[in-house]
Amino acid sequence: MVISVKNLSKEYSVFQKETGLSGNLKSLFNRKYETVKAVDDISFEIEEGELVGFIGPNGAGKTTTLKCLSGVLYPSSGKTEILGFNPNERKKAFLKQIGLVMGQKNQLWWDLPAVDTFILQKEIYEISDSRYNKTLGDLLDLLDAKDIIKIPVKKLSLGQRMKMEIVTSLLHNPKILFLDEPTIGLDVVMQQKLREFIKEYNNKYQSTILLTSHYMNDVEELCKRVIVINHGKILYDGVLSNLVHEYSPYKNIRITFKDNVEPNKFTKFGEVEKYAYPQLELFIKRDEVSSAVSKILSDYEVEDINIEDPEIEDVIRKVFGGE
Amino acid sequence: MKKYFWVAKNTWEETLTYRFNFLMWRIRTVVLLLSVYFLWHSVIPEGSRLFGYTQNMMLTYILLTSITNAFVISTRTHEIGDEINSGDLSNFLIKPINYFLYWFWKDIGDKAMNIVFSIAELTILFFILRPPVFIQTDFTFLSLFCISIFLAIVLYFFVNILLGMIGFWSPEVWAPRFIFSIILGFFAGNYFPLDILPNTVFKIFEALPFSYLIYFPIKIYLGQIGLPEILNGFLLMVLWIGIFFIFVQVVWRKGLKAYTAQGR
Repeated sequence: MVISVKNLSKEYSVFQKETGLSGNLKSLFNRKYETVKAVDDISFEIEEGELVGFIGPNGAGKTTTLKCLSGVLYPSSGKTEILGFNPNERKKAFLKQIGLVMGQKNQLWWDLPAVDTFILQKEIYEISDSRYNKTLGDLLDLLDAKDIIKIPVKKLSLGQRMKMEIVTSLLHNPKILFLDEPTIGLDVVMQQKLREFIKEYNNKYQSTILLTSHYMNDVEELCKRVIVINHGKILYDGVLSNLVHEYSPYKNIRITFKDNVEPNKFTKFGEVEKYAYPQLELFIKRDEVSSAVSKILSDYEVEDINIEDPEIEDVIRKVFGGE
Repeated sequence: MKKYFWVAKNTWEETLTYRFNFLMWRIRTVVLLLSVYFLWHSVIPEGSRLFGYTQNMMLTYILLTSITNAFVISTRTHEIGDEINSGDLSNFLIKPINYFLYWFWKDIGDKAMNIVFSIAELTILFFILRPPVFIQTDFTFLSLFCISIFLAIVLYFFVNILLGMIGFWSPEVWAPRFIFSIILGFFAGNYFPLDILPNTVFKIFEALPFSYLIYFPIKIYLGQIGLPEILNGFLLMVLWIGIFFIFVQVVWRKGLKAYTAQGR
């Protein structure tokens, strides 16, 4: 086990501003602070080589958790241990083994070409010339980004900059990699490339990766295990496919009819989502699907029928909606 | 150590990308210097003496403030407050790098650029104005001058770090900075040597750390303070550095606990 988190909590004190002129004046002299629990008593463990996805809506506490794990934030209470280190001590041996990519933060020297940041990074992490050249070559190959390292960072597109950010964070081959919204703002092609890259990196170096993302596709494609978090609490921790079964005991049935039908007649099978001739969509309980479908097929003239698991995104929405 | 050299080099190159900005900044410095220069030029006519200063001593003092400022006062540390507030500090916290040394070397890169410009400006002014300057030839005073400059750089650096760390607790990092730079110009002796002030006022100034940043080194260069006073001054500077160093460590530790890594 490389990461262990026990009863981690992190509170922020947030300044509340009142609106209006009188409110403005009031807050000038008398400030109200409110304590917000960003992370509320969470515990989990992660084994070496695992690729774990953190999912949750904005402000759920994903990023705060990552920041606590990487030693950037001091937890209000609880204990975190990464590779046997307390991250907050910021020991050199610990820092050399971790990497953090923040999709919305820039660590590159803005006015200089990325290669200048790389060289500084090489010196900071005391990477030998040969290893530096090899790793840089590999990373640039994987990301197909050889030709942009000498262009000033400010002139790069968001996607190109993201590639450079990732190279910077991976030059020292971190054993543990924290990726905070790595695909944010990227186009679909670039997102896909990045996903493939993360997968390959995980396989090649057996590194442990923790990833947060808004995009379900990221998580679906990359992570076997997910940790669902909302309001600072863990709602689910386990295999992604089980999440679907646990939170959505229904299947999606889409039927295309030959003739117009009365949608009300199908409520006995399950929940009718919508009907627009010729297509009917309904949710049917997993264990009732086969009997319902054979009944429908014998009673109606059906052109086409489609049975599938609900979209993960819908399931997640259900989880967060508290349904 | 090599990593810090690269920090300085990158800072140097960063400044070069804003050449025009930097040039304007230097022009502002030269205009300020010239206005103080001509003021004293007319206040003390050639051959006369005022507050114990001959014209050439006073003008040498004023011209030397340029190079002393380049060495001691030029800094990039005013960005620290914003770095903390924007959450960019996180980028450094996850790296095996000493944040203070990082900034110290960033400052060295910035100072190097300012020194080059200051020397070039003074050379040009020297040929245009042909000022009656005093050249110190005594090796002892010159080396003591160098030591005082070094101590002043370290002292001012810690003061700046402390000001930057206000960012841990307040987003309003610019107002304190602004006030500070105004006070500094006056208290450090940028416009006149502090010993022309009434003795009681001067004693107060001497007790504060500011006077050791500009006034004290230049006075050493001019050979106007004796060896015991110089050593006494060095001792006080080391003491101030010690106090600020400890203060910085304490505030840094407290600051990291208060740090919220804001900005998403």
